[in-house]
Amino acid sequence: MIQGTAAVAIISYKEGLRQRLLYGAMLLAVGIIFFSVLLAGLFMRDIAKITLDFCLTAVNLGGLLVPFFLAVHLLARDLERRTVFTILAKPVSRPGYILGKFCGLALLCATIMGILTGATVIALLISKHLYAAVFFQDLSWPAVFVSVGISFLGIAVFIATVVLWSTVTTSSFLATLLTVATYCVGQTVGDMVHFIASKVPGVTITPVVAQTVKAAMYIFPNLAAFDLKLAAAHGQLAPLADILFLLAYGVAYTAATLALATAIFQRRDLT
Amino acid sequence: MDIVLTHVSKTFKASIGQRPVRALSGLCLEIRRGEVFGIIGRNGAGKSTTLKILMGFLRPDQGEVLLADRPPTDPAARNIVGFLPENPCLYDNLTAREHLEFALRVAGMSPRRERDRIDRALARVSLLEAADRPVRKYSKGMVQRAALAYALVHEPDILVLDEPMSGLDPLGRHLVVELIQEYHAEGHTILFSSHILTDVERMCDRIAILDQGQLKTTVTPDDLTGIADPAGRLSPLEHLFLSTIQTEGTPQP
Repeated sequence: MIQGTAAVAIISYKEGLRQRLLYGAMLLAVGIIFFSVLLAGLFMRDIAKITLDFCLTAVNLGGLLVPFFLAVHLLARDLERRTVFTILAKPVSRPGYILGKFCGLALLCATIMGILTGATVIALLISKHLYAAVFFQDLSWPAVFVSVGISFLGIAVFIATVVLWSTVTTSSFLATLLTVATYCVGQTVGDMVHFIASKVPGVTITPVVAQTVKAAMYIFPNLAAFDLKLAAAHGQLAPLADILFLLAYGVAYTAATLALATAIFQRRDLT
Repeated sequence: MDIVLTHVSKTFKASIGQRPVRALSGLCLEIRRGEVFGIIGRNGAGKSTTLKILMGFLRPDQGEVLLADRPPTDPAARNIVGFLPENPCLYDNLTAREHLEFALRVAGMSPRRERDRIDRALARVSLLEAADRPVRKYSKGMVQRAALAYALVHEPDILVLDEPMSGLDPLGRHLVVELIQEYHAEGHTILFSSHILTDVERMCDRIAILDQGQLKTTVTPDDLTGIADPAGRLSPLEHLFLSTIQTEGTPQP
């Protein structure tokens, strides 16, 4: 199975890497990163923070390209266009196919985020050279790298959900819609849970809404939890316990989602 | 026996407002080693469904399927099979060579060490010159030939081809016919479906006629020698095919 999984991961990675959309978006992200060096000069005393804010956002957006555009293109369209027959006609098991697709996409995401992180480092070094050292005294490189790493983990979780949606539906359009819905819920569900728990005076939450939000919290990934950009921009490294919790949550959620996707795909007729 | 289907039935679930479609109904087929076996039938007869069940893409509701004594869902069974789907679809941004490298990698071979094997397969379908071009730049016929090379590259014992002549020009068709004959001469088993009855008649050791998901008859070229169209316009197989499906009370194609 490992051989099949690795082979599927390699061709998915290569196919993704050659999508033209990727190069345009990467150029834009690199443009944003280097533009932030100039823009940050307009902000008194917050030069490092502004530069980092822009750069880490660009890194995150670059990573999100994979689940939003490439994952649906590479997986749901595989089923829609029946390219899947090309793969599964060979000695590749269905779990191997799902896992291989996920690994290829995660590797693609890691490549994009790696390149953009490199651009971020260069942008920060240029900023340090252009502006006074005092503006960078709070800059924490570990916080920057941890933020990128956790951001990658969050996107990997999101990719796993895209893989799941692609196995559930036969239409790439529906898979895209479900992907967008998952992202929206994943970014807001944490805030909604906090809002309900805080019991703001004058605001009545019906039990149905409260239960729906609670159910969404367990079903959808809490993608906002993987956002450590703000802390990194302020030079604050997240506590180790928080990092370990996010790691465990991300790995467990990804594993469970891929297991469910595999179980569904195993039973699916490929017409 | 290389391929065995025993009482295989398959019904596709209905979409909202539609009736379920019974694609196969108690189909039994046995294909011997080294045989060229053709399946013919009109559109919707169950040819592609049979081949998809054989490859493990679809699960039969009833019955048993064995590929070289193994269930088709076993990846090891697919290691000895080369499959060409109807209207094959390859990855647009990968080259034919990269597809073949993938095929060897999953078959447990090293694409680097087996470069000759890749070149041989590409040359066999006259695609060696275009081997390093992305598939999106191929014509429909070239995609079909690349998919055929992909099916053949690991030199499987069994070839399963769904409409192998579809989308090919006369030269391409001739190439496929030659390839099937070469493969047959090497002692491999070939199962294919086609609408082109003259090709089927020319190449097959046995021919199955499917209609409405059922096996109507199986004939050999010897059986066809005694059949003649009274009007003299149709080949023996065309005459047998039309008379078989018309006697079932179904409309003429």
